[in-house]
Parts: sequence; structure tokens; C-alpha cells
Amino acid sequence: MNSNSIEPVIHARKLSRTYPFGDSTVTGINQVDLDIAPGELVVLKGDSGSGKSTLLALLAGLDHPTAGELVVAGHHLSNSAGADLTRFRRKVVGMVFQSFNLLPTLNLLENVCLPALLAGKPAEAARAKALELLDWLGLKSRLKHDPAQLSGGEMQRTAIARALINDPALILADEPTGNLDSRNGRVVIDLLAELNRSSGRTVLIATHSNLADSLAHRCIRLRDGALTDPTCDG
Amino acid sequence: MRRLTFFLRFFLWFSGRHLRRHLGRALVVLFGIALGAAVFTSVRLSVHASLHSFSRSMDFFAGTAEKVLVRPGGYVPEGVLPVLLAHPAVKDFSPLLTTFVRVYPPQGSSFLLIGIDPLLDQSFRKWRIRGDREKTAERWLDLIREPYTVILTEPLARELGTVSGARLKLEHARRTAEFRVAGILIPEGLALVEGERVALTDIATFQELTGLYGLVDRIDLTFKPKTSPLDIEDLARKLPDELELRSPSAARDSGTAMIRAYQLNLSVLSFASLFVGMFLVYSLVALNAASRRRELAILRAVGASPRLLFNLFLAEGALFGLCGWLLAIPLSSLLVRYLLHSVSQTISTLFVRVQVEGLVLSPWEILVSFAVTLCISIAAAFQPAREAMGVSPKEAMEIAQTGVRRRRSVRRLAAWAVGCILLCVPLSLMPGIGGVPLPGYLAILLLFVGFALLAPWMLERVGRALSPVLQRFAGMPAYLAGRYLRDSGARTSISVGALITAVALFTALVIMIHSFRQTVELWVQQTVSGDLFVTTKMGQVNRFRFPIPEPIVAGLSQLDVDADLVPSRRFQMTYGDFPYEFEVMGMETFLKHGGFVWMKGDPETARPLLLRGEGLLVSEVFANRTGLGIGDMFRAQIEGSRIEIPVAGIIRDYRTDGGVVFYSWKQFRQRFYDPQWSGVRFYFRDRTRDIDAQTTGLRDTLIARWGDRLDMISGKELRNGVLKIFDETFAITTVLLLIALAVASLGITTTLTVLVLERTRQLNTLFAVGASFGQIRSMICWEAGFLVVAGEMAGLACGFVLSYMLVYVINRQSFGWTFLYTVDWGTLALSFPLIVLAALVAALPAVRTAFREPPAALLRER
Ligand SMILES: Nc1ncnc2c1ncn2[C@@H]1O[C@H](COP(=O)(O)OP(=O)(O)OP(=O)(O)O)[C@@H](O)[C@H]1O
Ligand SMILES: [Mg+2]
Repeated sequence: MNSNSIEPVIHARKLSRTYPFGDSTVTGINQVDLDIAPGELVVLKGDSGSGKSTLLALLAGLDHPTAGELVVAGHHLSNSAGADLTRFRRKVVGMVFQSFNLLPTLNLLENVCLPALLAGKPAEAARAKALELLDWLGLKSRLKHDPAQLSGGEMQRTAIARALINDPALILADEPTGNLDSRNGRVVIDLLAELNRSSGRTVLIATHSNLADSLAHRCIRLRDGALTDPTCDG
Repeated sequence: MRRLTFFLRFFLWFSGRHLRRHLGRALVVLFGIALGAAVFTSVRLSVHASLHSFSRSMDFFAGTAEKVLVRPGGYVPEGVLPVLLAHPAVKDFSPLLTTFVRVYPPQGSSFLLIGIDPLLDQSFRKWRIRGDREKTAERWLDLIREPYTVILTEPLARELGTVSGARLKLEHARRTAEFRVAGILIPEGLALVEGERVALTDIATFQELTGLYGLVDRIDLTFKPKTSPLDIEDLARKLPDELELRSPSAARDSGTAMIRAYQLNLSVLSFASLFVGMFLVYSLVALNAASRRRELAILRAVGASPRLLFNLFLAEGALFGLCGWLLAIPLSSLLVRYLLHSVSQTISTLFVRVQVEGLVLSPWEILVSFAVTLCISIAAAFQPAREAMGVSPKEAMEIAQTGVRRRRSVRRLAAWAVGCILLCVPLSLMPGIGGVPLPGYLAILLLFVGFALLAPWMLERVGRALSPVLQRFAGMPAYLAGRYLRDSGARTSISVGALITAVALFTALVIMIHSFRQTVELWVQQTVSGDLFVTTKMGQVNRFRFPIPEPIVAGLSQLDVDADLVPSRRFQMTYGDFPYEFEVMGMETFLKHGGFVWMKGDPETARPLLLRGEGLLVSEVFANRTGLGIGDMFRAQIEGSRIEIPVAGIIRDYRTDGGVVFYSWKQFRQRFYDPQWSGVRFYFRDRTRDIDAQTTGLRDTLIARWGDRLDMISGKELRNGVLKIFDETFAITTVLLLIALAVASLGITTTLTVLVLERTRQLNTLFAVGASFGQIRSMICWEAGFLVVAGEMAGLACGFVLSYMLVYVINRQSFGWTFLYTVDWGTLALSFPLIVLAALVAALPAVRTAFREPPAALLRER
């Protein structure tokens, strides 16, 4: 490899995750080789069951690969555990889910502050940062609302704010538009693209929809757990 | 029919499989309810066994008598027999005497000797001698023909190692005599009385043995057909005034009423375990209903009726009830073994003498236990089932599962709670119904309900007040825990409610038993004071009915010891239907050394009245049962004397469930007749010398002179004995209490497990946004801590209120006594670490279970 080339944010070699099922196993992903450079906006496509969520979970440090090598932002995820992973999740990645996953007992502002507070940042700083983000996302008037009182689009924007509060270098989104109408879906994808453009964050979006195709630097596709030729359409 | 099979099949699909998937939880709940049901069932069965043997014994003993002639506090003179013989209404009569005797040399415990006239008794009671029919000479006639013959029941003969024809020495208060065993009774009728430990003898022999010449305990009567109440009144008029014609069932009825009241008390106590078990069922069914809300919405969307959903969850409750009860059967059979003996012993010391032969499986009791367990479980499932019924099909379309939380207004619940708790006040002031404190029990139930309803409000307050403070000082996990509890609403509060119930019960019973014991200790020190107690042989078991023979009394009075003597005599009486003891005692000397535990009245003003014989003392139980207060006139007919003395004071006394009346022995003799001594206690004057040594010395002297005629026990042994009986009595309560606590900690275990498991998704989210495993664990621990502290605090508060009700309402109404209220802080403090430990032991594995699936599962949930 060329020594001048920049270190990739995501570096996976022969990455596999299988699930035991009785005596046999079910393949989540199989022998995936993947490099994503800093500042890239990548769209991950594939049929349902092709392994998109499985891959994202590995990248986010929520799951362990059964085989292969995985380095994300310099963290060797294939052989780290416990405290390392926690630090990794706090500092390096921000996650956005299809079903938002806001905590119902916390209000909007508290939901956004949560990762910063968990990371031990002072409450004042977390609050200021959250207010700034929510203002940017147009949610300033809803600070004290419970998640149950928000629309899907508002919930997803809140989730994005939450993903951003610790200034992660990598944003992982799993079907972020899956539960939204096309207009709200557009808004969310535009926001993710904006994050990539303005602050050079790496963004990986797993999606069925074509909303992000035009904005993506690169498209990758999974079929039956393996990466196939990288084309966006079809 | 088709509908039912469909329902059952659907129930198996929907609920059965779910329960099987979460088998651990279901089993814990099942075990909890089974334990509750087992305690309830075995307690009821044990008391029932006593009840059964008591009433059977009483029935066989009463025979066919229609009326019983007695003389309160004494014996019926045989002189009245001619009156009975001459009266046109009387068909048959049979005089009867009973006492407890022992074989000599002493072996085993004493047994009942019944003196009858075998001829007259034929028409009253059934009893036959084995082998009589084959022979021409009926052997029972030997009883009349030959003095000093007895007939024994078979178990008794076996126990004494004797056979028909053998000789046997029997010992009684007055003397010891040799008997010939004339035969063995066939086990039927009279032979089944007293746990089959009886012997029959001729009345003349009995009188000679006991010195009761010309006297009998009672005379049973039957009347000719068409005898009217007027004829019976006429008979009563012809008899001496001091004799009474009583119903033969009176003793049985008052005895069974007492045992039934005791059964109710224990049932209520054991019901507590079932009640806590009910919380368990509630929390699991509620969890299932809440966590499967979406499924329910989908079911509704595809055509299930609200009724079907309601029935599903009700059936889940019923399943727990049914299986719990089935599991309770083997558990009860273990428990019953322990309870049977201690329950009958308690009944014997507190109320009436019972001899339990074994367990009687009463279909009624089994039905009661089944019905109660089933109803409790179904009732527990009722509210979640209602909730499930209200799920709208629209919810199936909602995507974000933020959890639909229809929170009932916490304030409104709190208002209800306050209402329930306030209602306890008037209910506690109401009198019991038929000697049973039903309003009091209702008040206790309301108290529990009130505190459980208050729990959500309390949690909200605690959460609100604590979370900002916690965030600053205890960090994020504590803050999150506080926030969660604030919003968790009814679900958590139910578990806190269960905890409150158990802690309250623990607190209240600990306080009650401690107060009771402290008071009894005080009573024992004061009223059961004395260094040596002397009575006739077997005086205790014969309830001090037989006076110490004159020559021995004379000898005792002239004994050369440095001690004061307090003679006493007890009469077994009834006031209306209420049984009590009238005790005359050497008041002046007694007051010098011992004393009474005063309830009402001023000891200083009462003392001269007592000494002058112008006043007497009644026990609290007596005052409560009869309504007699200070200054009221106490009236009684004791043997030939009519007694009318005002009440000078009310004192505490715990010797039996009956009442006691104390009067001066000296004054009784002056005003009425010589009551003789049935017992005497010695107080050594020189308290500086070793009391034990003096007691032993005196004992040796007495044994040397009258050892064969007197029973004696040192004051120390007697007092220890009383306290030992007390502790044994409350051993049952303690066992029930521990089981309730065990069920409650099962409750905490399930609650916490459930609280964690139902939030798997939230916990995973926390994990995904950067919480460490340690942070999540500490959050759960904080939650557990909050729940436990809140439950413990409210439980303590509830327990203190409850203990007041137990002491001043329940005990007063069901036993007639109260105690000096004292709190055993040490034992109370023990409950706290116990429960905290249970909570932590529960919380930590729950966290592990929550993360059994990797958090990546989060990405797969929709
Ligand atoms: N916990 C699990 N246990 C067993 N098999 C699993 C598990 N998680 C994923 N799989 C399997 O792994 C494969 C990939 O699943 P994954 O959820 O990654 O697909 P996906 O591409 O995200 O699908 P979708 O577009 O529907 O979200 C599927 O065949 C799935 O059945
Ligand atoms: Mg997926």
C-alpha cells in the first residue's frame, strides 16, 4: 500500500459474522473486504437479509465478528473488548437507527445530552452543545417534549443530534429513512450529507431507498453477506 | 364447545408458548403463589384437625344428654338425685365425674379418668368392652361388682403396657390406689374422647379415690317425650338455687367458637403470603400484557374481540392459580407435619384442651384453599386483562415503539390512597362481629391497598426531588435511574406495593410479638412471682380444682422456713357464656412481694379496697368481654355463696384466653366460706441468700414429707415455662412471617428482573450511544436501591400503623387483650439489609440476562 495514501477510517479484511442456528449456522456477512476513506459518504445497498445491519453493528462496535480483521478509526475492533469498546462508541461513532430508539423517559433535550453525559462531560457544556445542534435542526421549540409527542421526522432529527453530540468522526445510519415519508426522508439524508460536506465526517448509510444515491461518493452492495460490484443503481 | 376448544388452543398458542419461552419467570411466580397457597392450606388444615378432634371428643362425651346439671365453680351434691327421680319430666339421668390421673410410679403423661354409674350411663353414651358379647357375664358389670376396677382404651392399655386382668396403680391428688383392669374398650363412642386416652371406673370408686364423697361434676339428663320448656323450668325451680341446667352443647359451642376464631386469625395471617403471591401474579401478567401490547394490537387488527384478549389474560391468571395450587399440595403436606402439633398445642394452652390424632382431610377445607388460590390469581390478572382489552387495533400501525403509556393521574391515585388510609380509622373503632374483628381485618386490607396506591406518587416525588441532586453528586447512572422511576408509573409501584406489604407485615408482627413478649415478661415477673409453687398432684392439668388436704395445709403453715406463704384457690366459672377463673389469694403478702400489671385504676387507691375485701381486680380480657369497668358491681354465684363486689381495678393477665378475677383469700373466708388451698406459693424473706439453694432446700423438705401428694415447681422454672410456651406459640407466626418475607423477596427478584428485561431495548440504546456496561449496571443498582429504600420506608410507615391496629384492634377484639407497646428496633433494622441483599442478588443477574443477546439486536428491532 502506498505510504502517502491516507489511513482509511474503516478497514475490514475477510470480515465474517455468522449466527449459530441449531447445528448449522446462518450467515450474516461473509468474507467482506472494505476500505472507506475519511470524509467519504458511502451508501450501503442490498436486499433485505443481505447483511447490511450486521455489518453496521460490527462497525459500530455493538457486535463482535466471528472472523476477520476490523479496524475503525485506528481501533482494532476484532480483538478489543469492554472499556475500549465503550470509549470507541462514545468518541468515534454516532449511530442513527431506523426506529429512532429515543429513550421514552427522557425529554428531547435530555435525550440529546445523554451520550455527552455518559462520557462524563460537564452538564453545562453538554447542554450548550445540544442546544446548538437542536437549533440547527430546527427543534429549538420542542426541547421539553417527550419523544412520544414528536413526529417521526422530528424523532429522527433528534436522533441525529444525539449521534453528533460527541463529535464523532464516523456516522453510521441504518435505514434512517425507513420509517419516514419521502419528504422527511429527504430532509434526513440532506442533513447527513451536510454533515459530511461541512465538517468532513465519514458517513455510511445503509438503505433501500434511492434518496441518497445522487449525494453519495460511492455505493457498495451486499448480496447474501458478501460485497458485490459497486454500482448504485439496480 | 367449539368456542371453548378454540379458546384453549389459542391460549396455548398465544400465552402458553410465551410462558414457556420465559419459563424462569413463570416458575418463580408459580413457586411464590404455591408457597402462599401451601401456608394458607396447611394452617387451615391444622386448625381444622384440632377443631375436628375437639368437637368429636365433645360430642362423644356429651352423648345423648338434653340438659346438664352443674354447680358453677364446684360439685353437684348427689342429694339432688331424688328430686330428679321424682320429677315427671325426667326420663333418664346419669351422674358423671372426670379428672386426670397418672399411673404410679409416674410413667408417661396423665390421662382422663371418667367416673360413671355403668347402669345409668347405658342410655347416654356408647361404650363397649371387647369380647363382651360372646360371654354370658358381661364384664362391665365388674365395675359395679368389684371396687377399684377400670376399663381402658386400647391405645392407653398399650401405652401403659397392661392387659385385661392385670393390676395398675393410679395416682391422684389425694391418694394412690391399685386397680384391676376389667377390660379393654372397643374404639367407639366414649373411647374416642381425648385422643383415646381415657379410662372408665365406677363412680363410687372415683369418689373414694378423689375424696369427693357424695359429689359429682355434673348430671346428664334426658326428658320424656313431649316435655315442654315449662316442665324444665319447673324442674329448675325444684332444684337448689346454686345449681344450673345447661345445654350440653354449651361447652362444645364456646370451645369450637374459640378455635374457629383462632382459625380465622391464623388464616388471615397466612393469607398474607397469598396476598404477596397475588402481587407476583399481577406483576407478571401485567408485564406480559404491557410488553405484548403490539401483538395485542395486531390481534385486534386481524379480528380478535376485546373480550377474547380479556379472557386470555384472565386465563393466564387462572393457570397460575391452578398450577400454584397443585404445587401447593406437596408443599402443604410438608408444612402440615410441623404445624399440626404446634397448632394443637397452642389451642390447648390458649383455649381448650385438644388431642389431635392426625390430619383430617376435609373436602370443605380443600375446596376453600382451591377457591381462594384460584380467585386470588384471577383477581390479580383482572386489571392487566382490562388493560389488554383496551388496546386499539390502530396501535398496530404505529412505528415508534416509545411504549404507549396511558398513565393514570398519579395524584388521583394518591387521593384514593389517602381515602383508603383514612377509612381505616372509623373501621378500627368499630366493634368486632361475633367476636371476630372483621372491620379490623377490612381496615388492614384497606391500609395495604392505600399504601400500594400511594406508591406511584411517592416514587414520582422521590424521583423528582432526587434526580438533580443525584446528577451532581452521584453521576449519570443515578440520574437516569431516578428519571426512570419517576416516569415508570404503575408498573414499578405495584412491585413497590408488594414490598411495602411484606415490610409492613414484618414490621407490624415484629413490633406486636415484641410488645407481647415484653408485656408477658413483665406480667410473669410481677404476677407469676414467687420462689416455689406448690399444688396438689396433677393440680395443673386438673385446673387446680382439688384442694390440698387439710393436714398438709396445716403442716405447710407451720413449716419452719424463712418464707412468706401466699395461698390461693381457683374456681372455674362462666360469666354468661364467657369462661373465667375466679382466684382468691393471700392478697396482702402477694402485694408485698409481687404485684399486678395495671391497666386501669390507681394501684394506691385500689390496694386498701382489695385488702379490706371491698374490691376485686378483673383482667383486661374479662373487662373487655363482659363490659365491666371500674366501680361496676361484679356478681357471681360460687358454690353456695352469692358474691357481689365492686371492681377496683383492671389488670393485664395472659394465663389463658379466658378472663381472671382476683380477690382476697382472707376476706373470702370471712365473708363467704373457707375456700381452702388449691395451691400455695413461697416467697423467701431473705433475698440476699442464694434463692436457688433455698428453693432446693424447701423442695427437699416438702418432698420428704408430702412428696406423694404435692406437685411443685420453682418460680424460675414456671416463669421460664410460660415464656417457652409463648415462644412456641409465636413460632408459627414467625414461620408464616418468614414465608411472607420469602415470597416478597421472590417478588423483588421478579420485579427487578422484569424491570430490566422489559427495557432491553432501552438498555441497548444506552449502550449504543456510549454507556459502558458498568454504567448500566450501576444504573440498575441505583434503581433497585431506590425501589428498596422507597418500599422499605413506606413499608415501615405502614407497618407502624398496622402494628397499632394489631395490638389495639385485632388482639383486643379477638383475644380481649392488648399489650404495652414497645418497638424492637434491632430486629426491624434487620429487615433492611435482608431486603437490600435480596434486591441486589436479583438485580445483577437480571442485567446479565438483558445483555445475553448482543446489543446489535437493536438494529433488528422495528
Ligand atoms: N441474531 C441473529 N440470529 C440469527 N440470524 C441473524 C441474526 N441477525 C441477523 N441474522 C441473519 O443474518 C442475515 C443478515 O441480516 P441483516 O439484518 O444484517 O440484514 P439486512 O440487510 O439488514 O436486512 P434488512 O434490509 O431487512 O434490514 C439474515 O439472513 C438474518 O436472518
Ligand atoms: Mg437491516
